[in-house]
Amino acid sequence: MTELYRLRSVTKRYGSIVAVDIDALMIDSGRLYTLTGANGAGKSTLLGILAFLTPPTTGEIFYAGERIDWKGDIAARRRRKVTLLHQSPYLFVGTVFRNVAYGLKARGITGDASHRAVTRALETVGLERFRDRDARELSGGEAQRVAMARALALDPEVLLLDEPLANIDRETASLLEAVIASLPSLGTTVVMTTHDPDHPARLNGGSIVLEGGKVAVSRASLPA
Amino acid sequence: MDFLVSSFAAALQLIGSFSPDVVDAVRTSLSVSAGATVFAALFGIPVGLAVGLTNSRLKGFVVTALNTLMAAPTVVVGLLVYGFLSRQGPLGALGLLFTPTAIVIGGTLLASPIVANYTLAAVHGADPRILPTALTLGAGRFRAAATLVGEIRFGVFAAVIAGFGRVVAEVGVAMMLGGNIRGYTRTMTTAIALETSKGEFSFGMALGIVLMTVALLVNLFLSLLQRR
Repeated sequence: MTELYRLRSVTKRYGSIVAVDIDALMIDSGRLYTLTGANGAGKSTLLGILAFLTPPTTGEIFYAGERIDWKGDIAARRRRKVTLLHQSPYLFVGTVFRNVAYGLKARGITGDASHRAVTRALETVGLERFRDRDARELSGGEAQRVAMARALALDPEVLLLDEPLANIDRETASLLEAVIASLPSLGTTVVMTTHDPDHPARLNGGSIVLEGGKVAVSRASLPA
Repeated sequence: MDFLVSSFAAALQLIGSFSPDVVDAVRTSLSVSAGATVFAALFGIPVGLAVGLTNSRLKGFVVTALNTLMAAPTVVVGLLVYGFLSRQGPLGALGLLFTPTAIVIGGTLLASPIVANYTLAAVHGADPRILPTALTLGAGRFRAAATLVGEIRFGVFAAVIAGFGRVVAEVGVAMMLGGNIRGYTRTMTTAIALETSKGEFSFGMALGIVLMTVALLVNLFLSLLQRR
């Protein structure tokens, strides 16, 4: 395993509120981490920072050994390697295909290559027959699966998941959990927030616990 | 009452007979309004987006300025542009005063703050997840902004339609900058003002009916878009 992220003295403040205050945190590549903590512990803020969407107020972040320059183009360049999936994902107007192909198009991937990637991603989440459906007419579980397919189609180095299994039916949750668990074997690093106390053990990954914005526990893997 | 009814009948007859004066005024009105709306959209939409997506300290000032410009009297805008385009003005050499181009310039100034403000309102009302979703999927700033416009397109259409409505219905700019020249810069509104003052009430009413019909068609078009 090689180190992918290194956070040093990272804080994120919103006015007088300190959302995240992390002295040090390392995340290895090709691993799955569960990110747990109470509501307001800073989980979503940390994911936003790891996704290079939310610049920290202070501190340094290194990704694959490179220090992130938030004012330059490094953050934007690195953002293409990392995809964040929200708990309540937003689907763009149009078909399921258009949604799943969005990130590919942004990378200049169109035509057959795009069709193949979209089809493969939709097959992974069991929605291959939904490609021409209007994305706005999907149920919550189907929308979550489309959003997952949209992220998987990009084959990201890092997939950040903000409570992806909350508010969906058990069948969809099982399917998505199996997909998520398989990603590290494909080389994808996964950081997933969850409130399910069984997830860390069941997914057999590393564990990061936040308390009041600080890292209370950080383990590369669960103790045997 | 008889006067109104007979004027209304005469107005319908004028419209039905495609009176050249009516047709010219309608054509001029629609062409200068369309031109001004296009330019106002090209300027106003990016301004509305830029103001809506930034958190600059100047934002409050810019919003106040846009609101003030929205309420600017048309004759004041006409006066300002007149000053620039008149012979003694800095752009007098271009010879644009009393041409359709002058009305387009004035109309653009009138409509741009409206398009910008309505676009700004649409951006503020947009789903806050749109931009982060586009960015995390690898979109650059411009693609993300274009995606946002696509997602709030009804609001942007409404902005453009409101801009068109402002230009097609105004009389001050068209009168001052166009000069109300028959068959050249005479618009529906300036023709209504002139012909009514001459006692040609039915002619003014004919143009008024056309103007209201244009407004109705534009709104029907917007409703049709929103249903799709």
